Amino acid sequence: MSATKLLEIIDLQTQFQTEEGTVKAPIDLLRLPEKEMRPLRDKDLAMIFQDPMSSLNPVFTCGSQVLEAIQLHQRLDRTRARQLVLDLFARVQLPDPERIYAAYPHQISGGQKQRVMIAMAMSCQPQVLIADEPTTALDVTVQKAILDLMSDLKREMEAAIVFITHDLGVIADIADRVVVMYQGRIVEQGPVRDIFLRPQHAYTKSLLACRPPVDQALRRLPVVRDFIDWREVDGQRTMVERAVSVKQTLAQHQLTEAEVEARRTRIQSGEPLLRVVDLRTWFPKGRAWWGRPQEFVKAVDGVSFEVYPGETMGLVGESGCGKTTLGRSILRLNRTRSGEVWYRGKNLLSLNATELKDLRKEVQIIFQDPYSSLNPRMTIGKAIEEPLLVHGILGKAVERRERVLELLATVDLRPEHYQRYPHEFSGGQRQRICIARALALNPKFIICDESVSALAVSVQAQVLNLLLELREKYQLTYIFISHDLSVVKFMSDRMIVMNGGKIEEMGWPEDIYQKPQQAYTRRLIEAIPRGLIRDDGF
Amino acid sequence: MLVYLLRKLAYGSLVLVLVVVIISSIIYLAPVDPARLTFGQRSDVATVEAKRSTLGLDEPLYRQLGRYLNDISPLSFHEASPANRDKYHYHPLWRSDNGVLVLKKPYLRESYQKGRLVSEMLAEAVPRTFLLALTAIGLALVIGLLLGVLAAWRPNSWFDQLAVSLSVIGISVPSYVSAMVLALVFGYWLHDYTGLEVQGSVYGLDDFGDTRYFWANLLLPALALGVRPVAIITQLTRSAMLDVLSEDFVRTARAKGLSPAVVVIKHALRNALNPVVTAVSGWFAGLLAGAFFVENVFSFNGLGQLTVNALLNYDIPVVLGAVLFTAVIFVVINVLVDVLYGWLDPRVRVGA
Repeated sequence: MSATKLLEIIDLQTQFQTEEGTVKAPIDLLRLPEKEMRPLRDKDLAMIFQDPMSSLNPVFTCGSQVLEAIQLHQRLDRTRARQLVLDLFARVQLPDPERIYAAYPHQISGGQKQRVMIAMAMSCQPQVLIADEPTTALDVTVQKAILDLMSDLKREMEAAIVFITHDLGVIADIADRVVVMYQGRIVEQGPVRDIFLRPQHAYTKSLLACRPPVDQALRRLPVVRDFIDWREVDGQRTMVERAVSVKQTLAQHQLTEAEVEARRTRIQSGEPLLRVVDLRTWFPKGRAWWGRPQEFVKAVDGVSFEVYPGETMGLVGESGCGKTTLGRSILRLNRTRSGEVWYRGKNLLSLNATELKDLRKEVQIIFQDPYSSLNPRMTIGKAIEEPLLVHGILGKAVERRERVLELLATVDLRPEHYQRYPHEFSGGQRQRICIARALALNPKFIICDESVSALAVSVQAQVLNLLLELREKYQLTYIFISHDLSVVKFMSDRMIVMNGGKIEEMGWPEDIYQKPQQAYTRRLIEAIPRGLIRDDGF
Repeated sequence: MLVYLLRKLAYGSLVLVLVVVIISSIIYLAPVDPARLTFGQRSDVATVEAKRSTLGLDEPLYRQLGRYLNDISPLSFHEASPANRDKYHYHPLWRSDNGVLVLKKPYLRESYQKGRLVSEMLAEAVPRTFLLALTAIGLALVIGLLLGVLAAWRPNSWFDQLAVSLSVIGISVPSYVSAMVLALVFGYWLHDYTGLEVQGSVYGLDDFGDTRYFWANLLLPALALGVRPVAIITQLTRSAMLDVLSEDFVRTARAKGLSPAVVVIKHALRNALNPVVTAVSGWFAGLLAGAFFVENVFSFNGLGQLTVNALLNYDIPVVLGAVLFTAVIFVVINVLVDVLYGWLDPRVRVGA
């Protein structure tokens, strides 16, 4: 991850090949002055960034941005350069290159934007292509398509690719060699097969283990701490590796079928806590000139399901399938068009403002982005305290403080964090803060909307474990929304696959995973990067 | 787009009607008799009454309002008489027994004080003010953008600190102070070197009686008016640029190997312009409405001075005419700015 700055600082002190196959004298890029560095950028060393949504300039057309890169490094007249851009767009399999050329970034999808970025990076046949988490912000299906494309290009262009990611599953699909970094240092490197089959370092093992497996049910996910221990030795924190294998650890956490069965019968015996009947949320698209909506985007279109107390209902689908809107509609954060949402015998959609406020105590939501869902000018103590104030619970400031400290402890944060501001925390810690805030009112029902999607795999495992612990401790009921099928499968008792605002499939996670009924579900499952580990069964 | 513009126009006309209603009501409620003010100290009651009646001031407010709105509406209804035809210069569309439906230029009536047509008085004052406002905003844009971009280029450098401090001063100085300081320094003390006058209009007559333009007379008032916009544009540009420069697409532009100048000016600046456009358009419209203090200091007979003099004398038609004109300016500039936003940022393009 520290390699993000690679192109600015470039600590690649390597020699690289020219097109003819001769070897250039090694250049120490670190000592290269900025002026001489510039011509190398994009021409010899190109970069693809993590977030295609923000990596393209919104005010220029996609075509002109690639054109700019070409004209900067190659002496080509405008028509020929333009033709080259169109060829590149065709090569990265963009549909209708002419249209994309003239389109602004906001007019095309995330996957298409990333293809434009790749086209830009390839435009001058670079020697080295640095891809910084290029698929992390994308759906699994789109991710698969992009990875396939990059593998093809790698062969075709004979460029070296440095692929930076937190997800070992992706690495398995694309890399030849792997370098594992931990706390700023390289802890292990070698051919991808060796890394997956015979991981040496404890951190590598933990990375391999902490991705939710799709083929087994676990009580909790292994985390880094299962493999690495930090001890105080002579006043210094030292890393102690535990001698356990990935397989052992996974086996240790496995749920037996009997346990799974018991849990299911227990949950299904109760009355449903939440019953959604034929819910529709449509957003106006086109409007007539007098302002009345003419067309609609049917974000949620006739969805019905039930959630039992203590159950976790998984909700999975690609972006734009309506899963987030569904979650928000249940909480009345969106205006719904029709349908009913019954919670404990009350239809939430017909509650008045006071009743709704009472309801908000019981039903909470944890949002996707822990960076933007916390007010940067509020200490986290105040942020967690706020819901208590709003609902007038615990009149005395001392009591409230006490409660906040208790909540901090619940999510494994320390009391001294009370006075700190959000920017002082890592992504995983911020998501814990959001969880603590959601828990402040003792809710019974929590909607987790992509709550771990912005986190690295190892951190994601910790947060998922925390959510499971809290579920048992406080008898919580979850709706767990994610685009990541493996995460949803790990978390859920039952799951729903959504597509185009409708329910594609609903059922037990392993049934859906092993016997998908719909082509759409099959496509989602096939796109999950799974690496080599399970196949070889080490 | 066309639908959008038409809708804006409809809203705009509504705004104009509301402006007329509100201003008329305020004037009507004020305990002053405009008819009396037209005569000065000595005049008998009968004369004043007669004047009041010819001006229609003795009618109830709604009647006065109705007649005024009818006068300013391009599509209106009048009695068909030769007198009216000379007054309104209308094109008859449809005749009936008691009048004629006509198409005409808005008729803003005559000044109570001077007896001149308000439209003539506006036509005289507006170009001056327009020129002044345009120069002031033009200067402010050039200087402000330059300072803002350079300040954001190296944040917290000495230049940045200097630009920020200067702009804080610029924001805090009222325009009449800067006007007087500029007039004193450049128009009086340094007059021999600069050749600038303390007072003077852009239009004047030369020794042969022909109209001449004195462009130099524009400089000091424009500078005085531009001080605060410069300060605000600097600050806005700086902060917007700082935001934009940390965006991912700027990193992409740098990774392409573009030079810092191209990155900043082509990729960053255009993304940073939206808040600047908002501020500039507001200021520009405000300046077009006339800048009384500055016009007063430099004896620049523009719209501001016209309006204030009319207000002092309760010259209602002039006040209404000037305010109406200002309202039109604001409506038009708002529409232009909306179009400009779309040009700057394709994401907010109407109908896109």
